[in-house]
Amino acid sequence: MARKDTMKALANRGVRDEVVALLLTQYNTLSDISAAGVDALVDLGIDSAEAAEIITKIGKRPSSSKAKKAVVEDVPVQPMEEVTNYYVYSDVENRLKAIAERLDVQLPMKIIVDIADRIKNADLDEETCEKLISTAYRMYSAHLMDQNESAGVMAAHSLGEPGTQMNMRTFHYAGVANINVTQGLPRLIEIVDARRIPSTPSMDIPLKGIAAEDENVARLVASNIEITSLQDVATIEVDITNMRLIVDPDNRKMDVKGITSEEIVDKLNKLKAVRGMVELDSSEYKIVVRWSEEPSFKKLQSMYDAIKNAKIKGIDGITRAVLSKTEGSWKIITEGSNLKEVLKVEGVDADNVMTNSILEVADVLGIEAARNSIIHEAMGTLGEAGLDVDIRHIMLVADLMTNDGYVKAIGRHGVSGKKSSVLARAAFEITAAHLLHAAMVGEVDHLEGVTENIIVGQPVTLGTGAVNIIYTPKKKGDEE
Amino acid sequence: MTVRGITKRIGSIKFSCVSPEEIRKMSATKVITADTYDDEGYPIEMGLMDPHMGVIEPGLRCKTCGCKVDECPGHFGHIDLAMPVIHVGFIKDIKMLLESTCCQCGRLMLSEDQIKVRRESMDRMEELGGGTIDVKNFSKETAKDASGKGICPYCGKEQVKIKLDKPTTFREVNDNHKLTPKEVRERLERITDDDLVTLGIDPSTCRPEWMVLTALAVPPVTVRPSITLDSGDRSEDDLTHKLVDVLRINQRLRENRDAGAPQLIVEDLWELLQYHVTTYFDNQTSGIPPARHRSGRPLKTLAQRLKGKEGRFRSNLSGKRVNFSARTVISPDPLLSINEVGVPVFAARELTVPVHVNEHNIEQVREIVRRGPSPGLDDPYLPGANYVIRADGRRIRVTERNSEDVAEGIEIDYTVERQLIDGDVVLFNRQPSLHRMSMMAHRVRIMPGRTFRFNLCVCPPYNADFDGDEMNLHVLQSDEARAEARILMQVQENILSPRYGGPIIGAIHDHITGAYFLTHDNPRFDRFEAANIMFRLSDIPMPEPYIDEKGEPYWTGKQLFSTVLPSDFRSTFKSNICRNCKTGCKKEECDFDAYVKIRDGKLLCGTVDVKGIGNSKGKILDRIARDYGADRAALFINQVTRLALGAIMNHGFSTGIGDEDIPAEAANQISSFSQECIDKVSDLVESFHDGTLDQMPGRSLRETLEVKVMGVLGEARDQAGRIAGNHLGMTNPAVIMAKAGARGSMLNLSQMAGCVGQQAVRGERLSRGYWNRTLPHFEKGDLGAYARGFCSNSYKSGLTPTEFFFHAMGGREGLVDTAVRTSRSGYMQRRLVSALEDLKLTSDGTVRNTIGTVVQFRYGEDGVDPARTVRGKAIDLDDLFAEVLGDKADELLHIDTKDVGGDYGSLEKDEMEYIEEEDSEDYDDLDMDYDGGGE
Repeated sequence: MARKDTMKALANRGVRDEVVALLLTQYNTLSDISAAGVDALVDLGIDSAEAAEIITKIGKRPSSSKAKKAVVEDVPVQPMEEVTNYYVYSDVENRLKAIAERLDVQLPMKIIVDIADRIKNADLDEETCEKLISTAYRMYSAHLMDQNESAGVMAAHSLGEPGTQMNMRTFHYAGVANINVTQGLPRLIEIVDARRIPSTPSMDIPLKGIAAEDENVARLVASNIEITSLQDVATIEVDITNMRLIVDPDNRKMDVKGITSEEIVDKLNKLKAVRGMVELDSSEYKIVVRWSEEPSFKKLQSMYDAIKNAKIKGIDGITRAVLSKTEGSWKIITEGSNLKEVLKVEGVDADNVMTNSILEVADVLGIEAARNSIIHEAMGTLGEAGLDVDIRHIMLVADLMTNDGYVKAIGRHGVSGKKSSVLARAAFEITAAHLLHAAMVGEVDHLEGVTENIIVGQPVTLGTGAVNIIYTPKKKGDEE
Repeated sequence: MTVRGITKRIGSIKFSCVSPEEIRKMSATKVITADTYDDEGYPIEMGLMDPHMGVIEPGLRCKTCGCKVDECPGHFGHIDLAMPVIHVGFIKDIKMLLESTCCQCGRLMLSEDQIKVRRESMDRMEELGGGTIDVKNFSKETAKDASGKGICPYCGKEQVKIKLDKPTTFREVNDNHKLTPKEVRERLERITDDDLVTLGIDPSTCRPEWMVLTALAVPPVTVRPSITLDSGDRSEDDLTHKLVDVLRINQRLRENRDAGAPQLIVEDLWELLQYHVTTYFDNQTSGIPPARHRSGRPLKTLAQRLKGKEGRFRSNLSGKRVNFSARTVISPDPLLSINEVGVPVFAARELTVPVHVNEHNIEQVREIVRRGPSPGLDDPYLPGANYVIRADGRRIRVTERNSEDVAEGIEIDYTVERQLIDGDVVLFNRQPSLHRMSMMAHRVRIMPGRTFRFNLCVCPPYNADFDGDEMNLHVLQSDEARAEARILMQVQENILSPRYGGPIIGAIHDHITGAYFLTHDNPRFDRFEAANIMFRLSDIPMPEPYIDEKGEPYWTGKQLFSTVLPSDFRSTFKSNICRNCKTGCKKEECDFDAYVKIRDGKLLCGTVDVKGIGNSKGKILDRIARDYGADRAALFINQVTRLALGAIMNHGFSTGIGDEDIPAEAANQISSFSQECIDKVSDLVESFHDGTLDQMPGRSLRETLEVKVMGVLGEARDQAGRIAGNHLGMTNPAVIMAKAGARGSMLNLSQMAGCVGQQAVRGERLSRGYWNRTLPHFEKGDLGAYARGFCSNSYKSGLTPTEFFFHAMGGREGLVDTAVRTSRSGYMQRRLVSALEDLKLTSDGTVRNTIGTVVQFRYGEDGVDPARTVRGKAIDLDDLFAEVLGDKADELLHIDTKDVGGDYGSLEKDEMEYIEEEDSEDYDDLDMDYDGGGE
C-alpha cells in the first residue's frame, strides 16, 4: 500500500509512468529514492538529467514536512519527572535488614517489613531480633517451591477451576455509583483475552486538593470529564422560514455543567460543518446559526445533525461520570474510559487513577503497568465472586501475557499461537494449517514441551520427568 | 524380552513435503484401477485395496513385507495424475510465491541489496532465538514488499497481477486468462533455491513445485479399512471413496487427452480432478460444495480426520485410551482412611499388577498363579493371577484348568499379572478433571459390593457427591509410577490446595456438627457415653477422667477432642459461631464459647467448628498439614472425623420440616412487616406515576423506581429472615448446621421460615411475559410488588400459584446460566492450560518456558509455593512470634487482636459458594435472589 502511495506521489510530481515503474522495482518509498541519490537512479537506466529532476521533485515535500517537524522539536523536551516516592524503610525495618544481611540470609523484603510492623511498638534486644530473622528464614525456606514444579499448570488450574463456580450474571452495580461493570466469568474471560476495549470500560478517579473535599468543586471536575453534547444543555430548533438553526441553551443545565453560552459559540464555530457561522443573538439570549450561501433544506438538516451531537465539554469516550464519597474524600466513577485525557484534568489525583481497560494502561503507562493492571483486575474479579486464588498464580499469567512487551491474549492469537512447537500448536487449534506450514518451511520439533511429548508417548519434561541421571557408558574402545 | 529400565527418547521430529519422485519411490504399488475387490472378494492388484499396501483381513499376508494383520504397518501406494493439480492446503503460499517472483525469470522481485538486508535480519533473528512464527511473519513481509512490482528488476519483464479465484484457480487480472496448474508449476519451478530461503522456505524439504501435485500418495489400506457389514456387504472408508473418484476422473482425463479431445472437455475434466483432489485433502474448503456420501453425509477426508475435538490430535494423540482401568458408581465409607479407596472384588479380579519373578518371590508368585483367575471364595479375598508373561514376551492366559501347570512352569524373569490386593497404589479420578486434585493416588481396600468407596473428606477435591456419580480407577503398572504416585499424588500429600494455601480436604457436613456437639459449652460424658464416642479410635487410650461431685468419673468434650491433637499443638482463633461482638471480644470469657485457644495440644476453650477442622477453612487442620507433615495430617483427619461422628451419634441429630416452624406471633410479625413493605412499594409506584419521585443522578425515573423498590423488598426479606432467625434459637438443628458451618446458611433458613423474597431475572425484577405485565392475573402496567415477582410467603408456608410461577422463572435462569457457564469456563481453562503448560520453575529460581524465555525471574516474586503459604503469606507471623517470644508474644507486641483468626473468605462468600453449588444440582434450591444472598 506504501507502494501505491509512492506511485501516486511520483505521478503527481510529473514523473513519467515508465520511469515510475522502473523506480518502483527498486524502491518502495519516496525517501528511499531520495536517499539513493542521482547516481543510483542513473544506474537503473534513467538519464542523469531526468534523475536529478526526480530527486529535486521528490525533495520538495519531505523537506516541508521536515520543517514542520523542526518546529515541533523547538519546544524544549522536558525530561520526565523522576519518580521519587520510593518506599522509605523505617528504622526498625532497616535494623532487621541489617541483621538479615549480617546473618547472610536472603529474606524477601516483604517479610522483613511485616515483622517490623509487628515489633515496632516493642522494645526487643538484638539477640531476639536475630532469632526472629533466623527463624523467619527457616520458615521461609521451608515454604519455597520445589524445582521443576510445573508452576504454569498449577496457575492454569487455579484460575480455571474457580471459573466453573463463578456466576455468569454480567452486571453488578459498583458501589453507590450505580454504574454497570461486567463481573464474574465474562470479565475473567475478557481479561485473559486481552480485549482492546472491555465490554464495560470504567474508571475510578480519586480527586485531590480542594476537589476531594468540596462537593461543588468535585462536581465541576466531573463535568470536565463527562462528555456533554449540545443537545444535553440546549434545545435546538430548525427555523425553516429564516433558514437558520436556533440553539436555545438551558441555563439551569448549563450552570450544573459549568458552561457559558460564549463557550458553546466558540466550540460550534470550530466545527467543520458550521465554521464561522455561529453567533450569539444577544437580544434573545439564543445562539443562532445562519449562513450566507444559497438556502438549502438538505444542508440545514445536515447541519442540524452535525451540531446536535457536537461535543461541548468533556473527554471523548466517557459517557457518564458519577460522584461518590469514600473515606471522606470525593472521587469520580465513570462509564467509559480515556486514561490519557483524564490524567490531564485538573483536580484529578493522577497517581491513583484506575481504569479497567488493560490495553489502555499498556498504551499510556507501559507494559509494567499493564501487568499490574491485569493482576489487579483479575484479583478483583475473583475476589468479587468470593473466590480465593493465590496472587502468585495470577502474577504468572500476567507475566506470561506481558512478557515480550506487548499484551498478548491467552489463546490462539496470543500465547498459544506463538509456541515454538508445531505439534503443540496443531493440537491446540487450527491443526491443518500449522502442519502444512511446518512441512513447507521444514520445521523441526524438538519435543521439549508437554503436549509434544504426550503425542509421541514419552515422559514430559516437567516435575519428575525433568531430571535425568547423567551417565556416559564407556565405549568399547575406551576400555583399556 | 523387552529391555527393562532403559528408555530412549525421540530427540526431534522434522516436518517436510514429499516430492513426486519420493512418492513414487516409496510407493509399494501404482494404483490404476478404481475397483477394489473382485467377484470372489479378493482385492484387485493395482486397485485401491491392493495387498501390497497392507492387509486388513485376518489370514492374508501383505505382499510387500509378508506380515499378517496387526504386524504389517501398511505401505503407501501412488496415483500418477494425468495432469498436475494444486494442493489446496498450500494455495495461499502458492499465491504469495507467484506474486513475489517474476513470471518470466522466477527471481524474487527485490534488489540484491534488499535481499541482502533481509537475509541478514533473518540470520540475526535465528541467532537471537526467534521462533518459527517470527520468521513466518517476517518472510510474509518480505513477500509483500516484493509483490505488486510492475517490472522485474532482473529481467525487466512487465508483471501481470494475479488474482486467486477461491479455492484453487489463479487468473491473470488483465485478460482474465486462467493459469493452469501446469503453468503455475512451471513458474514455481523457476524460483531459485536462494530466493526461497529469503522467503522462509527450506528448499531441501519443500520445493514449491511440489505444492502442485503430479503424483498422489495413496495411504495404506490399514489407514482406511473397509468394514464388512452383517449382510456380507462391504462398506468402504470415506478416503477410499474419494480415491475412487480421483482415479475415475484421472482415467477419463488421460483417455480424453490422449485421444486428442477438444480443449474444453479436457479442461472440464481437469477441473473436476482438481475438485476431487481438493476435497480429498479437505472437504470443508470454503467455496466448493463438500463431497457427499451416497446417504448425503459429507465425507470425512484427510483434514477432517485431524481437526477438532474428535480429530486425531485432540482425541487420539493428546489423550489416549488405557487398559488396567475401572469405572463404577461411588459411595461413601466414613471408616476408610482418606488415603484408601474401597474396590469391589469384581473389579479387583480384573485389574492386575505385573510382578516380576525373582528368586525371592517365586514361591509366593507360584501360589498366586495356582489359585487361577477366580479363587472361589471372595471372603476372605485372595488374589489370583490372570496372565503370565514368559521371559520371551509370550502371554499365557491363566485359566481354572491350566493354573497348576502354568504355576509349575514359572521361572525367574517371568512376569505375572497378579490381581489387586489391599495396599496397592491406584489412581482415582473424577471428571471433569479441573485441577490436579481431581486425580489422586489411593491405597486399595478390597471390599464386597459393587461400588468404589472412599472417605467423605475426599469429596471436595473431586467435587464428588453420591447421587449417582461414577469415578475411574487406574492401576499403576511400573515401580517408578507407583513410587511417584505414592510420594506426589497420594491424597494426604494434597490436603493443602495450591490454589489458596489452605486445606481442601477436611471435615464436612456431619463431622462439623459432631465436633460442635463435642466441644460447644464443654459437655460432660459418663463412662458409657465417652466410650461410645471414643471406641472407633482404637490407637488412642481413654484419657484420665475427671471426678464429679458424686464421685463418678466423667470426661468432657474438649478433653476428648484434645486426644487427637498433636501434644505440642498451639493455636488461637475465633470459631465460625463468633458473633463479632461490637462491644469488643471477651476472648477466653466469650459468652458463646467462640474463642478457641489450644495450648500444648489441649483445647482450653472455644468451639471447634468449620473454622477449626472444616475443609478450606479449618485452621487446626491447616496448621497440622503444614507443620506436622502429611502423615500426621491424614491421621488427624481420620481420627477427628471418627471422633466427631461418635459425638454426633451419641447426641443424635436430625432436621426436618418442623425445624422451620415459627410461632404464630412471629408469623404475624413477618406478614405485617412484609405488608408494610408492599405498601411502601405501592407508595413509591404512586409517586412514580405522579412524578413526585426524586430522580437519582444519572438514572432515569423508571430506573430510580426499580432501585428503590428493590431496596425496600430486599429489606423485607432480610427483616423476615431476622424475625424468623430470632425465633429459631441455637437449639434448632438447622440453625446449628448453619452457624457451625456444616451445611446451609441463614439465608436458606430465612427463605424456608420467613419469606422467599424478590425473584429476579438478569438482576432485575421480573418484567417479561405478556404485554406490559408478567401474568394475566395482574393489571396491565402494574408495577407493584406482587405483580413483579415478590414472594412474601416462605417455602414452609407455601407459595401462591403466581409466586410459584415467578420462582420457576428465576430458577430457569439459574439452569441456563449453569449450562452456559460450564462450556465457557471449560474453554477458558483449555486455553489457559495450553498457554501455561510448558512453564516450569528452573533450578535457578526463574520460571521459563520450553525455549528458555524467562517469564518470571523469581516465581511469584518471593519463590514461595502457594500450597505452602499461610493464606497467601510466605510465613505465619503469629507462629514466628509464638516460637521466638513464647506465650507472652501478644502482650509484648501490643497486638490488636482483631487480626486473630483471619479467614480465607468471609462468611458471605462461602454462602455464595453453597448457593452456587446447589443451583447446579437441585431444582428446589434454585433461588435467584436479587443480591445473590449476600447479607
